[in-house]
Amino acid sequence: MNLKDLQTNFQHVLLDAECIDAGWVREYTRGLSSQDRLGIYHNAYRMRLIDVLLDTYEHTAIYLGDDWFHQLAAAYVQSHHSTYNNIGLYGRKFPRFLAEQLADDKEVSELALMDWKLRRAFDGANSAVMTHDDLQHLAAVESGGIRLQPVSTLSISTQRFNALDIWHAINQDQQPPVVERLPQTIDILIWRKGHSPHYRSLAKIESAAIALVCSGDTLEVIGAALEQDFPDVDVATEFGVMLHRWLDDEIISIAPQNVDVDARLSVQ
Amino acid sequence: MTFGFGLGLRTQHYNDFLAAPQPVEWLEVISDNYMVDGGKPLAMLDQIRANYPMVMHGVSMSIGAINGLDKDYLRNLKALEQRIEPLWVSDHLCWTGVHGRNMHDLLPLPYTLEAVQVVKRNVEQAQEVLQRLLVLENVSSYVEYKTSEMTEWEFLTEVCQATGCELLLDINNIFVSAFNHGFSPASFIGGVPIDSVKQFHLAGHQNNGDHLIDTHDHLVCNDVWDLYRQALMRFGYVPTMIERDDNIPPLVELLSELDMARDIANDVLNSKIAV
Repeated sequence: MNLKDLQTNFQHVLLDAECIDAGWVREYTRGLSSQDRLGIYHNAYRMRLIDVLLDTYEHTAIYLGDDWFHQLAAAYVQSHHSTYNNIGLYGRKFPRFLAEQLADDKEVSELALMDWKLRRAFDGANSAVMTHDDLQHLAAVESGGIRLQPVSTLSISTQRFNALDIWHAINQDQQPPVVERLPQTIDILIWRKGHSPHYRSLAKIESAAIALVCSGDTLEVIGAALEQDFPDVDVATEFGVMLHRWLDDEIISIAPQNVDVDARLSVQ
Repeated sequence: MTFGFGLGLRTQHYNDFLAAPQPVEWLEVISDNYMVDGGKPLAMLDQIRANYPMVMHGVSMSIGAINGLDKDYLRNLKALEQRIEPLWVSDHLCWTGVHGRNMHDLLPLPYTLEAVQVVKRNVEQAQEVLQRLLVLENVSSYVEYKTSEMTEWEFLTEVCQATGCELLLDINNIFVSAFNHGFSPASFIGGVPIDSVKQFHLAGHQNNGDHLIDTHDHLVCNDVWDLYRQALMRFGYVPTMIERDDNIPPLVELLSELDMARDIANDVLNSKIAV
């Protein structure tokens, strides 16, 4: 058997649900049989990937309990082969898998998506965070309309259930609240501030404003759009408050076209 | 040139290394843990690197894979190498998956001339990207192949001769594989080319009675210390580290274990000089 056939065959043994014996393994006169020896690799493959899911989806695992989570994780491992060099990325499709498997318990997949996004924010790309002074400087020199750019770890997900409250309770080592469908959906903002992933819920107007920032609109265009969509809100005041909070929260980065990056880095 | 004794850098010990100088001459980092976009891992790496020389140790190059190496992986590895300027870069003499799949395990190779040629092709590709010699580690294993044409140490020798690469000898892995396959660990030590050994790993394993599992979650056992003495007798001084990946104790306990390695090395090498 050549190396290509051997590696292909060995991989099939590991990926198959049941570990079968293989004729290309040397038989031993003492100790474990060849099948038991292959079983060490067969078992290690599954345990390693389940451990990664446990680590990534810590809050989801606590919510489901050990047995149920392990059962779902084992089913995911059997149906989803890893194509990643970074084993931490293996569980990318787990929230969707949970949504399919637990169609009547959709809060679980929402909880899992929070776990996933917070983990990705942890080691996501760094951004040069915009300060209040940076924005003032930009306003003074920019004549064509100011465009803001979100930090690269920013993401928004929409929840239909009280998954945010469940996640928060678990994170505080408290009993999670009873699951309930929300009267209206809420958007959850996730990003990294300093070294720590952060999250908070968004009011409709703030979620709309951040979506417009992400689409690259100027502040003037965003303000006009918000006035049209939220006619009962004092948009000028509200937008100012939001901008202030975004800078405090460090969710806005310095767009390359708006700053002399080299000059900035040289004074930091 | 000597580099002394080191430890594997683990997240549990970040604060220890940031708070005060620790008695290690270098740190080994798992390359794959830092091949990320940003955040705390790279920030900690940069801060600790400022005070300690580092070596890079990878787990995903899959140097024996028939499909060849992943170019994105090599590119990211090169970027990390340029970031921390390590003393050397190592990975394992194994394969981790083929056909776009990753088994996330260090799977053994058959000891054949065909496998030597595949490893040679892949090592040359890696060394071309890294612009430095690669260091390869012997893995612990639980199966051997009927197609093998030579012993593991003869295979290591063939790979070194074919590629010019250097070796990271994991003393525990030699002991584990020797037990599992019934060969003499002394024959392994005696069969490896002296000038190719760049680094030693020392680690613990799990004894399951009729087989050993390479878990890196225990203290180094006496049998492995004895094998370390034999390795020192043959290879002389080689940079050595304790490798702990699970059940990680406080840093002070690992430093104590590392002192044991220092004491053994001093005893063996001094007696060797006296002889």
